[in-house]
Amino acid sequence: MASSSEVGGSSADYETMMSTSDVELLKRAWRNEKAAPEILQYEGALVERAKEQIELVEETIEDYVENGKDPLLVSLYQMDLDRTQFLLRSYLRVRLLKIEKFMFHNLKSEEAERRLSEQERVFATKCADDLAKHFEETVLLKLPENYQSVLKQSQISEVDDMVPQPHLDTFVVCRSNNFVSLNLYEEGESPETVEMERGDLYFIRYKIVKGAIESGQIDLI
Amino acid sequence: MYGRKGYQLLKDFASGEKGQLKPFNSKLFDETIEECDQNHHLMQSLMRKMQQEDLDVQNSRNADHYGALIHHLSLMRNKRCLMAYVYNRAEIVRDLAWRVGLELLDLPSEIQEKLTSLEKEYFKNHSVTLKSYMGKVGIELNVDMVPPKDPYIKVRILDDIDEGIVLSDKTTNFARHSMHFLKRTDAEPYIARGQMEELTD
Repeated sequence: MASSSEVGGSSADYETMMSTSDVELLKRAWRNEKAAPEILQYEGALVERAKEQIELVEETIEDYVENGKDPLLVSLYQMDLDRTQFLLRSYLRVRLLKIEKFMFHNLKSEEAERRLSEQERVFATKCADDLAKHFEETVLLKLPENYQSVLKQSQISEVDDMVPQPHLDTFVVCRSNNFVSLNLYEEGESPETVEMERGDLYFIRYKIVKGAIESGQIDLI
Repeated sequence: MYGRKGYQLLKDFASGEKGQLKPFNSKLFDETIEECDQNHHLMQSLMRKMQQEDLDVQNSRNADHYGALIHHLSLMRNKRCLMAYVYNRAEIVRDLAWRVGLELLDLPSEIQEKLTSLEKEYFKNHSVTLKSYMGKVGIELNVDMVPPKDPYIKVRILDDIDEGIVLSDKTTNFARHSMHFLKRTDAEPYIARGQMEELTD
């Protein structure tokens, strides 16, 4: 995708720009988000830059169409624009679907809350309110008093036991970018490690690679 | 047998096709709630009986205590069954909002029949939440649900849409069974609602 200073660049420049551009970063973020069972850190700066670039290319295309430039070139730019828009939309969509799925968990766990953007937090609160209200009206108000909580089974429960949580034990396919050595088990138990060379593919439980994904050393596929 | 109605309710839900709703089973639902009430009354009367006999309600372990425990457990199980029923239906309602459209009236009438008025309320509230998020972010998230292969696709019109369609670059008269060459983003909402079909050949 053309950057702001080289909008009318030739096709050679275009190719070299693609390899380290925001599109690649967006694709990587999108792939990780799609494969992970829980919500990952929001790439705010990346999304902003992607939005700006999309707007810019849209304007350029309109310009070209009005000036009657080569329609093949215009439709190539259009296709590339469509693809990038799809990436951005799908990224945001996958995050929203994860928020919807684990509504109450995301608002309770501080770690998850930190990973949401401002607007996503507003969305999550409103979503949870809607669902709680729906539950109350359909079921809870008709039940006897001690059993009317949305999050707890009854007043006697000590923790909120009715909150679905993401399954961190699911297996995922991942590839590492550097040499990484990870603990296979929880701390305190037998410290077996798995060592990954650069470019190795592994089919492993999500919990183990969680930290490495956040620091960018491992990618999910 | 306590808990059987809750089980039947969930079995009724599971027997529908995955992702499709069946009409809300108010009869079983109300019966399960009645059973909860019954459990609660019986439990309270047992606890009162224990208090009258001057036994410590929390700690003494006699037949009444266990009776009350059974009622409590049955109540919790019924609550979980009811909430699971409502929760799963709400999940499908949210899924509908994503796939078909955010306006309640856009849903085909067969689906509207199966929702209770409370579920329609939930659908409306959820649409409002989604729309306000999309407005804040500035991007529409309903289009482009599949990765784009071509920017333009061929479609055939299935229902009578006639006038009233606004496309981004031209206006056309859509008669039934006519074929058009449209932009993918324009055609998507109609395809999702079943009013057009994509021709792939």
